[in-house]
Amino acid sequence: MLLYYLLPKRVQWGLLLAASYGFYLAGGPSTIVYLLFTTAVTYGAGLLLGALNQKGKQLPPQDKKAGLQRIRSKKNAVVLLTCLVNFGLLYFLKYWGFTAEVLDQVTGISLAVPDLLMPLGISFYIFQSIGYVIDCHRGKYPPERNFFRYALFISFFPQVVQGPIARFDQLSPQLFSPKKLDYENLQYGIQLAMWGYFKKLVLAERIGVMVNTVYSDYGSYPGSILAFATLGYCIQLYCDFSGGIDITRGIAKMLGIDLAENFRCPIYARSLTDYWRRWHITLGSWMRDYVFYPLALSKPFRKLGSFGRAHLGGVMGKILATSAATFVVYFIIGIWHGANFRYIFYGFYNGILITAGLLLEPAFVKLRAKLPFSCDSRGFHGVQMVRTWLIVFVGRYITRAPRLLAAFVMLKETVLHFQPSALVDGTILTLGIGAMDYMVVFLGMAVILLVEWYQEKGGHARKWLSQRSACVQVGAIMIPLLVIVLLGAIGQNYVAAEFIYAQF
Amino acid sequence: MNELITLLEENCPGIDFRGSDALIDDGILDSLDLVTIVSALMDAYDITITVDELLPENFNSVEAIYALVERLKG
Repeated sequence: MLLYYLLPKRVQWGLLLAASYGFYLAGGPSTIVYLLFTTAVTYGAGLLLGALNQKGKQLPPQDKKAGLQRIRSKKNAVVLLTCLVNFGLLYFLKYWGFTAEVLDQVTGISLAVPDLLMPLGISFYIFQSIGYVIDCHRGKYPPERNFFRYALFISFFPQVVQGPIARFDQLSPQLFSPKKLDYENLQYGIQLAMWGYFKKLVLAERIGVMVNTVYSDYGSYPGSILAFATLGYCIQLYCDFSGGIDITRGIAKMLGIDLAENFRCPIYARSLTDYWRRWHITLGSWMRDYVFYPLALSKPFRKLGSFGRAHLGGVMGKILATSAATFVVYFIIGIWHGANFRYIFYGFYNGILITAGLLLEPAFVKLRAKLPFSCDSRGFHGVQMVRTWLIVFVGRYITRAPRLLAAFVMLKETVLHFQPSALVDGTILTLGIGAMDYMVVFLGMAVILLVEWYQEKGGHARKWLSQRSACVQVGAIMIPLLVIVLLGAIGQNYVAAEFIYAQF
Repeated sequence: MNELITLLEENCPGIDFRGSDALIDDGILDSLDLVTIVSALMDAYDITITVDELLPENFNSVEAIYALVERLKG
């Protein structure tokens, strides 16, 4: 960090590139070839698209229309080929084993599955680089000509493992602009990283022990304990992923770089759509810009829209095509998480619920008008939040269970054999963590809910802190540090666990 | 302009198109509304709006949408 600020301003980004590749090499030297491959292919595609865009601008007026059509075809071919190569690689590394397994079970045909290491953060950097290529196709900005600068955009070390998925026009100007040591950036960055370490090391790792104990032997527990462990998993996943992103954004902030926000108080979501707007925001906006829009405006979906308007009429007819495209997007988000039937079902689960919500919205509007109380009341918002939690909660059974069938068995147990007495008869103290650990997680979550409630109301927690006395500001760093050192999953007996989202 | 406003209000009832010049930036229109509006505009005015045109500045206000339609009708 010190070296970064001491270096001449024009070479600062060079240190970031060296640090990024050093970080990636430390994580697994054999997989760097995939990162280099994607970087090289998408860099080349960007240059080609930039050249084609330039050619389009120089066309003589008499040949403008036909020429632009020819150039558009070529640009489409470049994007298609780049997507095929990169998503093909992602498919091979992430989904080939699953394909071979299913094919073997269904047809008996056995396919070879090479034993390859899954490169760290491959989904994230492929999505980021494909976003860049599509933006170049759209002429949103000129392509980056310097290969090394482009390589830094793809590999920037704080975010390469689990995002946020950055946009070139937002991140690159920050990566290459001269930086000087700024007290506010350093303070905000340290606070944000501390907050992230607190979520990850004190809460996620702690509750994760209980979750693993129950899920690894789910057949031995009644429904109430399975529900309790799933609630624990909701906490673990949120603290792990959002904590990791806070650490990422905190480190970047210390370097004077603002990374995109990836979470916006998902606990306060009032519908599943609202939840996905607040959870993993950069993946959602990537899907919107590069999958949903092109799909919804494509010829087949527009034809479907015309069919809906002509034959179904009303609001349902109007939103049929949009709903179908929405379903496809949520299905893709589901299988993006991994190669197995659980995630395929998870994609269906989200897609069906959101699409049904869209199609039934007119009926809901009529129903809400007849209710004897205001739908803008706090009570109604609370009901909507609880409903969203329940939907997300059921979804977590699907994603955390070892197999899809196990998720169904666990859900059935939860509904049919709940046995609430197991929650108070001491069983929960035999799940790998003690009463003190539960107290830490409970208090930690209370603090998180309070901070997020403040943010939900439009408050800015770190800005608020910066306006307090020096004593409070130092305390805001030292107290979390002390909590992390005393209660965090660190030390000789701790084996550092990976971030859950790093495997996606 | 009035014809355009009627079309927008028919397709996205409940949205005050005249009352804001930051329809996208302020989150008044979401991605679903945007696609509904784009489909309606393409059908009504026989124009092609590509994804390249789906920029906030083209949909932030009725005036911006009107300007986009006029430009594409060309």
